[in-house]
Amino acid sequence: MKNRFRNALAIAAASAIALTGCSDPGADTGSDGPVTWPAQDADLSGTTLTIWAAQNSNTVPDSVIAGFEELTGAEVEVVTIPDPYEQGVQTKVATGDKPDLAFWQPTASQLTALNATQNLQPLDDAPWLDAYQPELRDITGILDDTRYATLITTPAVEGVYYNKEVFAANGITATPTDWDSFLQTARDLKAAGVTPFHEMAADKWATQWWVQVQLADAAADGLWDRVNANEESFTDPTIQGAIDNYKALIDEGLFNEDIKTATFEDQGAALLAGDAAMVMQVNSFFGQLQSLADTEELNQKIGFFPISPSGNTGTFIPDQSNALVAFKTGDEKREAAARQLLSYWMGDGYQDFVNAQSTVSLQTGVETPADVPEALLTVSESVGTSVGSMQALAIANPDLYLYLADMIQGTKTPAEVAEATQSQFAELAKAQGAEGF
Amino acid sequence: MLAKGKAGPRRQDHPLWFLIPALAVLVVFFLVPTVFNFVYAFTDWSSFKSAINFAGVDNFTSLFSNGTLVNALKVTLVYAVLVAIFQNAFGLGLALLFEKDTRVNRAVRVAFFVPVIMSALAVGYIFQALLKPDGALNGIIGWFTGTEVSIPWLGSTTWTIVVVAIVHAWKWMGLSMLIYLAGLKTISEDVLEAARLDGAGRWTMFRSIRFPLLAPAVTFNVATALLGSMNGFDIVQATTEGGPGGTTELLNIFIFRTFGQGLFAQATTMSLVLFLLVTILAFPVIRFLRKREDVL
Repeated sequence: MKNRFRNALAIAAASAIALTGCSDPGADTGSDGPVTWPAQDADLSGTTLTIWAAQNSNTVPDSVIAGFEELTGAEVEVVTIPDPYEQGVQTKVATGDKPDLAFWQPTASQLTALNATQNLQPLDDAPWLDAYQPELRDITGILDDTRYATLITTPAVEGVYYNKEVFAANGITATPTDWDSFLQTARDLKAAGVTPFHEMAADKWATQWWVQVQLADAAADGLWDRVNANEESFTDPTIQGAIDNYKALIDEGLFNEDIKTATFEDQGAALLAGDAAMVMQVNSFFGQLQSLADTEELNQKIGFFPISPSGNTGTFIPDQSNALVAFKTGDEKREAAARQLLSYWMGDGYQDFVNAQSTVSLQTGVETPADVPEALLTVSESVGTSVGSMQALAIANPDLYLYLADMIQGTKTPAEVAEATQSQFAELAKAQGAEGF
Repeated sequence: MLAKGKAGPRRQDHPLWFLIPALAVLVVFFLVPTVFNFVYAFTDWSSFKSAINFAGVDNFTSLFSNGTLVNALKVTLVYAVLVAIFQNAFGLGLALLFEKDTRVNRAVRVAFFVPVIMSALAVGYIFQALLKPDGALNGIIGWFTGTEVSIPWLGSTTWTIVVVAIVHAWKWMGLSMLIYLAGLKTISEDVLEAARLDGAGRWTMFRSIRFPLLAPAVTFNVATALLGSMNGFDIVQATTEGGPGGTTELLNIFIFRTFGQGLFAQATTMSLVLFLLVTILAFPVIRFLRKREDVL
């Protein structure tokens, strides 16, 4: 009897394993071949397209979808993937679940994370490319010379948001022109009794901007290429130096006293109220300010300037709400329909889209609406001359922000931050099969 | 496979092959994933490429050479021990307090059991809001002391782990209470009466009679609290996300983060390490607790 039982168990186990298979369920060769671009108004009755979006981007496509559905008869569904969005999408894609389109950070590291060559449709000869302003056309969305992502809104730039009234009250008439004058301004403000900088270490993610803007000159000089090839590391003087500087500025007392417990919400409120003069942030911070004040108040109070060691070069970091990718789903009809939706979005639907979103237009032939706040215009003007961030240029995106937050909390030294970041970077690069790791 | 003839009548009523549906479910949903947990730990499975290749013990060596895993293991153990202590102290306290079957006690027992059936994430987010520097707890303390209080309960690199362990214990103390109550009910009235006749006071009665006789309940409660909280994730993720400064980064939070990076094989390796750790810990703990039951 015991033997029989054992046999049954063995058979059940064997068949279960056979059923499950040992292959990666995310593997899908998809359809490769010459890509056609259907006309924007081709009939799509009976076709349903799915767009994955995050909690902060799920209403972005509304105007486009309404226009597209009316024009083509297609049905477009937006599915919200809960935060953390990137993890959620990667996990779903790894298990074989794919939408037709998804919001996605158009950087090389994040495209690699989605295994773009396997999972995404190449968009190399898309009809809208020539409509872009020339300096924005190839700024991002490209991995190994193939275009996989479509930039729909102006990418975020790391730089300094400042309170104009605080500057004026302290006799500061011109914004800083390089890193030294930037720090001088901060020290002058501190001497006058104002908190120069505000940081939000409780929410962690913004800590990395301070390190990245200090690397702008080095990034222009190929820093991330060297890091990608394992010729330079986070522990070498360039990046380690930027981390050390950040720590020194905090120790000097240039930041808010509650730096360890302050949150993203606190940061917006503090800058708007003038409790702090400057905040090193990206565009989503301005979105936070917009939820607290109207355009008129923001124009009056809030300004922006990019900063780098030698001047005012911005550091751009496109995020998930700035771009879309189209998936290889294996269904040729839906793949073509997804391309058609993108054509419409960046074509006839684009003016409506920038109007509805009150955002800066990326195209020469499409006007930026008048109600875009001034600070956002300044941000967008700096994109053309800016350099890529770690996320944009490095092949992997280690949790630098997390380790920096640990440093602010006092559980890591600057040297340990660099070590932890480098070892995680190496781990990710090795998993990608990058040369030199 | 059907057993014919020779087996007794009982066998004919319950042929072994009736087990197959249940067994199939067990194999597909429990055995195979566990086996794969072992298999994938030795591969280079990631989100970056489709092929999965054998990688030997590569994942293990790189994980152990990196301090983060050791730190996460340490945090997990400390957390589990704290949860086990608090959850049992609270549960036993409540059980003794509401031991008598009065109408009020029954209602209060239900109230304390409610957190057990609540969503752990909801509990986490509620406590996160309560414990914020400008949250309700500081408001209450401030009202009593008449001063502005802004203690960052979740902001200390030393004490936050204790705070989150208490939150975890708060959520599960109702279950421990229930099991201790059941344990208290099984103690024979004769023994208690004998003790009373011998002149035992309340404290002696508890220390020398009732607590030793609760041994099976203690075994169950300590083992489930200790080993269950080693798998903790939801409450800590909702309250601190592993912060401040990584001091509450449980192994599961570390696994979650690694998985999110697309390093699936490494994440699997870590969960295998956790599985082994729980197993290694389970045997001596349960053995020690069972030994205490020998008095029965």
